[in-house]
Amino acid sequence: MVLRCREGDRAACEQLVVRYQKPVFNAALRLLRNPEDAKDVAQTTFLKAFGHLADYDPTFKFYSWIYRIAVNEALTFLGSRKSFEKISGEEPDGTPGPERQVEGEQLRQAIEDALMEIKVEMRSVIVLRHVLHLSYKDMSDMLKLPEKTVKSRLYEARQLLRDRLLQREAI
Amino acid sequence: MTQREYIALIHAEIDGELDAANRAELARHLLADPDARALREDLRRVCNALDGLPEVEPPAQLRQSILAALPQSSVKRPGLASPYWRLAAVIATVMLAGAIVFETLKGAGPAAGNLSGTIAAQTPAIVATVRLGDGPVAGRASLLHERAQWAVEFDLASSAPADVLIVSGAYSLRVNGIAGPDKAGGPPRRVTLSGFQASEQPVELRFLVAEKQVASATLRQPATR
Repeated sequence: MVLRCREGDRAACEQLVVRYQKPVFNAALRLLRNPEDAKDVAQTTFLKAFGHLADYDPTFKFYSWIYRIAVNEALTFLGSRKSFEKISGEEPDGTPGPERQVEGEQLRQAIEDALMEIKVEMRSVIVLRHVLHLSYKDMSDMLKLPEKTVKSRLYEARQLLRDRLLQREAI
Repeated sequence: MTQREYIALIHAEIDGELDAANRAELARHLLADPDARALREDLRRVCNALDGLPEVEPPAQLRQSILAALPQSSVKRPGLASPYWRLAAVIATVMLAGAIVFETLKGAGPAAGNLSGTIAAQTPAIVATVRLGDGPVAGRASLLHERAQWAVEFDLASSAPADVLIVSGAYSLRVNGIAGPDKAGGPPRRVTLSGFQASEQPVELRFLVAEKQVASATLRQPATR
């Protein structure tokens, strides 16, 4: 499919969008929180990816390549802001319901808040591991860091989240 | 072992990356140190909550806006000038030449079947699969194992937003929005079971719609001798 898209087959490109738009959008959303910003980053990610498909090395996994573009775009977006402020807009959560367990909802809210409070380098490893479900090896390849460093950063990020959730008495 | 190293073991255990020796070492430490037990419990909760964050559907217009912004010429065709294609051409030539030489010189080699384990190890092993019949939630769920990590893959259809509670012994994980009308026709969804350890216990799946259980299924690991 990637090769066909590279050859200019728009249907193949559309299939790639259909397949990857959700993880790319969700990664951006967890990094930025604001759905509009996440949408812009997702769009830029795909356009950059399609614009540079000639540079894509097929020996690497496509998802790893496009996720790296997405994370870099989100980080660039964050870097372009002079100060990062919490967005109070509502998220288009796919599964809201008045009957949802209050406890679970509070924990979700607390963890989303806590995620936005930790440094973006820390948030990135959390997103790669827990939103995109990448292996340590894939994370290491993506971030161009040794696996040991990736693990150390991931562990630190989780503990920072844990500390914040304890402060909020959310766990 | 230092405190820092024990903490690393806790994280590795949650990620399903701990070998037997380190698991035993961690178990001894946890028995002796209530603070370590509390930390492990907290980190499990954090990881379960992170893994259970709902996947948000991208805005409906995202796909169209990407395709609309994509001019016909924007997808660049790689020529042989691209280093990757040049390399691919060289590799293909070498492989073709190698195949010809191999076919000419081949003697008694290993059967193809003997090599298949190497390839199979690259993909997750399906440990168990269960089908859900007609009902509010229908489809398939599979228990997967890959590189010491466990996961459940769901390929479901549901007429209403459904959550799933995954329970096995003391382990439990809730995933909201595992199926629903907005997800119809989407790809299967894989849920990583952070901190899950393989055991004799079956993995129960309880599907909830509006907090009422509407279906359940059990994934049983094949008995080992």
